[in-house]
Amino acid sequence: MARPTVAIVDYQAGNIQSIANAFEHLGARVALASDSAAINGASHVVLPGVGAFGYCAARLRDSGLVPAIEQAVFEKRIPVLGICVGMQLLADVGEEMGRHAGLGWAGGTVRALAPSPPDVRVPHVGWNDVIFEQPFGDYDVGSAADFYFDHSFAFYAPSQAKIVGTCEHGSRFAAVIRRDNLVAAQFHPEKSQRAGLRFLSGFLGMATC
Amino acid sequence: MLKKRLVPKLLIKHRQLGSVARPVLVTTRQFRDVREVGDPVSQAKIYEAQFADELIVLNIDGTPIANDIMMLDLIERLASSTFMPLAVGGGVRSVEDFSVLLGRGADKVTINQRALADPSMVEAAAARFGAQCVVVSIDYRTDEQGKHQVYVEHAATPTGVDPVSHARRMYECGAGEILLTNADRDGTGQGIDLAVLLEVTNAVPIPVIASGGCGLATHFSDAFLEGQAEGVAAGTFFCFRDQNPMQARAHIRTAGIDIRTEI
Repeated sequence: MARPTVAIVDYQAGNIQSIANAFEHLGARVALASDSAAINGASHVVLPGVGAFGYCAARLRDSGLVPAIEQAVFEKRIPVLGICVGMQLLADVGEEMGRHAGLGWAGGTVRALAPSPPDVRVPHVGWNDVIFEQPFGDYDVGSAADFYFDHSFAFYAPSQAKIVGTCEHGSRFAAVIRRDNLVAAQFHPEKSQRAGLRFLSGFLGMATC
Repeated sequence: MLKKRLVPKLLIKHRQLGSVARPVLVTTRQFRDVREVGDPVSQAKIYEAQFADELIVLNIDGTPIANDIMMLDLIERLASSTFMPLAVGGGVRSVEDFSVLLGRGADKVTINQRALADPSMVEAAAARFGAQCVVVSIDYRTDEQGKHQVYVEHAATPTGVDPVSHARRMYECGAGEILLTNADRDGTGQGIDLAVLLEVTNAVPIPVIASGGCGLATHFSDAFLEGQAEGVAAGTFFCFRDQNPMQARAHIRTAGIDIRTEI
């Protein structure tokens, strides 16, 4: 396999350096993409996201990078990975601090996790097990691994994407979703030590389809 | 199920070597008696190998962190040499500082004194970065009458504010986590202050990280079982004793607490 080139979308609302570090560790070439050219030249694209949904959605739209990402997903059909709010932005609507339009590529709505202390506190912060319901990389159906989560809102039922893995915190939500070459994770693989690197290897191993 | 967290705390001081400041990892006792331990990046790598769940990095000199080249460089090096979550604080002055720290590789930012002085900063940070990014750090001491109050300026200055009502207020402003530290117990190994911890965990529905006083592995399990902490942070315990996150984890698991096992 040729050495992959991963474009990490830089729209001033993501922990791009941490994601770059993880992909470099895996031997990929990394480009921080603040213009369309860097996205167009990549074999893989990552859409990060740290922040409130509305803030991230507005920044992404203002960046002017949406058409290039859309082209990567639907025309070039190269592997594209959304992480955390980068996953949530694939919904039709996000309900964090008002209602905000998402990209709609996975469909559905992102809703608040409901706290139920003392056992279920929100934000959902820390390591929780993801159960794979579809194979991904070398994670088989039925396998489970702990990943690092840090979020208050979650994807429950994407209308246009399959649920690949689920996690439970008060309720069971989608931890990994996939629509063909578009995959997204609610957890932070770049912060999930060995399990996370294994997940990102699975993404690098995805073929253009 | 969500696992309880073991969180090594890296306390950082500046050591001036000629014109260059070098970060040095230290431990403290009751926020005084500074002892140098060594290089923070080497120690962070050790903690990662020992399966720590998260790291908290605190600039205890309190210099304005967003302009502190040494601290920013340290965060960058920690983020590029470990693949685990980093919470960073000490000297955070504004919402813009969050951007600077996240840009260098921090995942969460802890604020202490500024959150008390200006709670609207917590609101503004949560609106922009999400509640999950905003950790409010509360240091408190207990006086001879048994009254607890929040202290600031590296736990040197009393404020008259009750830690439980302060935690509640910070939650209402949008804080995503509370880092609760009993400054009197810091570095003493006498155990976590379970009574105040439980009052705080009962007062807020967000995760609380307990800190100050861990000297035995049972102190961690007490904080989880009796204090309802989501995480326990420790500096001295992991730095000096013949103890590490792996051994503490084995004890905690034996106590029946759900904690990360398979890595």
